[in-house]
Amino acid sequence: MSRGNHFLSSLLWLVIALLVIYPLSILIIESFKVSGTDGSGIQNYLEFFQDTYYLKTFWNTIVLSTMVLLVSTLFGIPLAYILARYRQRGKTIFTALILLPIVLPAYAGVFAFIIFFGKFGTMNLLLMNAGLIEKPLNFIYGFHGLVFIEALHMLPFIVLSLVSGLTSIDPSFEEAAEVEGASGFRRFITVTLPLCTPSYLAGAVMVFLWPFTDWLTPLILGQVDFLPSVAYINIAYHFTDVHRKHMGIVAVVVSSIVCITLFLFARWWVEKKKYTGLSKGTTAEGRVIEPGPFLKISSYLYTFFIAALVLLIPIVLGLSAFSRRWVFEPFPTYWTLDNFRVILMESPGLIYNSFLFSGIALIFGVIFGLPAAYIIVRTRVPGKDALDFMITLMLAFPGIAIGVSYLLAFWEGIPLATYWIIMPLALFSRRLPYFLRIAHASYLQLDISLEEASEVSGVGKFMTFINISLPLLMKGVLVGVVMFFIMAFQEISTAIFLYRGGWETLPIGIYLNWHRGMEFGISAAMAFLMIVITFILLLIIAKIGGGILKAAWGGAGEKK
Amino acid sequence: MAYIEIRNLVKRYKKVTAVNRIQLDVEKGELLTLLGPSGCGKTTTLRCIAGLEKPEEGDIIIDGKPMISEGFVQPSKRGIGMMFQNYAVWPHMKVYSNIVYGLKLQNLSRQSIKEKAKNVLELVGLQGLEERYPGQLSGGQQQRVALARALIRNPKVLLLDEPLSNLDAKLREKMRFEIKSLVKRMGITSVYVTHDQAEAMVISDRIVVMEKGNIVQIGSPPEIYERPASRFVADFIGAMNFIPGEVVGVHSGTNEVYVRTEFSEKLLCKSTGGDVTTPGQKVYASIRPEDVEVFAEPPQSGENIFKGIIANKAYLGNFLFLFININDTAIRVQAPHQLPQEEGHELYLSLNPQKCIVLPE
Repeated sequence: MSRGNHFLSSLLWLVIALLVIYPLSILIIESFKVSGTDGSGIQNYLEFFQDTYYLKTFWNTIVLSTMVLLVSTLFGIPLAYILARYRQRGKTIFTALILLPIVLPAYAGVFAFIIFFGKFGTMNLLLMNAGLIEKPLNFIYGFHGLVFIEALHMLPFIVLSLVSGLTSIDPSFEEAAEVEGASGFRRFITVTLPLCTPSYLAGAVMVFLWPFTDWLTPLILGQVDFLPSVAYINIAYHFTDVHRKHMGIVAVVVSSIVCITLFLFARWWVEKKKYTGLSKGTTAEGRVIEPGPFLKISSYLYTFFIAALVLLIPIVLGLSAFSRRWVFEPFPTYWTLDNFRVILMESPGLIYNSFLFSGIALIFGVIFGLPAAYIIVRTRVPGKDALDFMITLMLAFPGIAIGVSYLLAFWEGIPLATYWIIMPLALFSRRLPYFLRIAHASYLQLDISLEEASEVSGVGKFMTFINISLPLLMKGVLVGVVMFFIMAFQEISTAIFLYRGGWETLPIGIYLNWHRGMEFGISAAMAFLMIVITFILLLIIAKIGGGILKAAWGGAGEKK
Repeated sequence: MAYIEIRNLVKRYKKVTAVNRIQLDVEKGELLTLLGPSGCGKTTTLRCIAGLEKPEEGDIIIDGKPMISEGFVQPSKRGIGMMFQNYAVWPHMKVYSNIVYGLKLQNLSRQSIKEKAKNVLELVGLQGLEERYPGQLSGGQQQRVALARALIRNPKVLLLDEPLSNLDAKLREKMRFEIKSLVKRMGITSVYVTHDQAEAMVISDRIVVMEKGNIVQIGSPPEIYERPASRFVADFIGAMNFIPGEVVGVHSGTNEVYVRTEFSEKLLCKSTGGDVTTPGQKVYASIRPEDVEVFAEPPQSGENIFKGIIANKAYLGNFLFLFININDTAIRVQAPHQLPQEEGHELYLSLNPQKCIVLPE
């Protein structure tokens, strides 16, 4: 065991200690503080679990999570089956479209659906003009709308995990069932689906945790009685009421505990149930079926329907971005570039900040991520598993927890929060697992003998890494870099707690514009701008290799 | 009427023809092996019988019932048992559930399912392991689960797709005999796919040798070994010396053929019958290493005696392989230990005319 590795590992731990362990411990300590006194105790928690309102929000969040998971699973199973099994024209396009929400900011979808499905949105107006309904229908304001929007947003996680499950099942498992006399649906229920459960669960846990993380969607839809939204309101709006602030922090800690527990439980279960090792030699794509004409048409219609829902987001935002005064009309009539003029003339800093912060976060990410991947994959430094564990755990942490803990931790003790560098630092630690997972995965695929051959030829470890490993890892690293950038670029839940005047990013701008005036035009234009930037970045990933699908999956984990 | 009749079967994958219009009959109770190198179409043929592949042309008739021409019969309706190369034992089900999976789809009482399971578990020697998950079993045990699952419904036809290829050598040899005796005892018509010629020899009533989607020879193991139809078959099954030459004389009554080779003007060989050889034809005089007799001193009498020099040797424990050059032609022989073995030593070879066959080039 070389000394260099130990040194490297200590440096990485130092970063983790400063940027993860320290702020999170402050968060926990703070949650025990009793307002009005200097002491601490479990009063806040007792109150939280005795107060009917907080209990209600807790319960609401669980119900919402369950519903979102249920709905996305119900819609996801047929979709995943079609994508994984049917020979279909335009499969790549459909797949890319359906996976789009994974890289789009959640708030973009919310705005688009409000414009389209709102009280006097396009859908209602069209229906009323056609004389089909008298009064507008309430499509999205309320619990059902929340479930719909969040389920659609998280659908890619379900679809991707099921597709990966379906394609990795050894075809002979299903053939054996077929030969044994089980046809069609029965085979699917008794063999196919159970074999998919481990990979399904990996995606499902992310879906279930999403409502514990997403405070903004409920807020925009006028629903606040959910844990993250309550926490946000308590902390951001009631900073003068110390008690409410503490209760907000408690809500954040409770959310985090739920997230971490479920995340770990799912990991443990998946690890226990992994079936893949059992079968030998699978084909690359698994089973592919030529569906009959009826199935073929239905599957086309179904994929088309979902793809159309997803496509609504960029289309509606685009329409809204290039127009003004789009009210009480199914489609805009007054076209203008005014929204973009406002963004570019009045607040170009937003775009600049977004690129600057995400860019710096990205550099931190690479500087940290590559050595971390090396330590985890290639060495036996003690504590490397713990390092891996800590970083992976960040996937499960709600963004709001990181934002709040940074706010608390870097205000007095280490006064980093007064400098703008706190923004990229927060983005870095929030999105770190994305980069690491991709670097990690490509490192695992790199045959160690290629590196050993270099070392045997007399080249030291570091130069071997530079000469051999890095060039071979480049593709994976680049995909990871772009994915990291996309995720950092749209980050809001962490940044919203930390920004000060002049540090606003695009997502914050979107939120503030909506919040101030309920004027969607500028928010929509900003969101549209983000979609365009994201799309360009995705094209870069696709160009680098691996395709959008793989890139998105490599980065799939938790969002916001 | 054969029990399984394969008629004009054609299966293409995009542009590759995996099975090229083959004809094959499998008799009732027979254990037939499809043998050939990878990509020869043996597995595709088997999967067509199972119904897991839809052939482009042709028909498969099982027990008088057409599987394709009168509407495609789904695998689940064919009443077959199948063993897969990778066992395909469902990892999320216990051994018992694996075995009775197909039975449960039939309307049987719990009691009779239990009984059948007990019988078949005994048959394959898996008693006491019913409650285990496949992940807790060894490769050989998973193999037995797969076999039990294939046998429990008393299938009309048993299909085995390289079932032993994932086992280690010792276990593989043991399982060969077990599968054979089990299948024979139950009298199930079986089609067995393998690329292992030794396995095919041990297990089969008849062997079908395939190459590039075609059947090149059908016969019992001795027939295939002793009278291979082509250089391909002779080379694939066992070891064979191929001595290039040209036919110079044919004795149609006795099947005797004279071949001119690099080291002999008139090498006496035997024609295997099928192909009528004519003078001037390019052929291979072919003889197996164990059929070449080796002497330290020139033998008093006999045909096809040549002097050679040891070029190389390989020690294999129970015998010795010598590579002996007759002029520039290397002949591999299987020699007893007591002979001189040093490289460069002279020895005398007798290429037994009864065993030296002529194969078309």
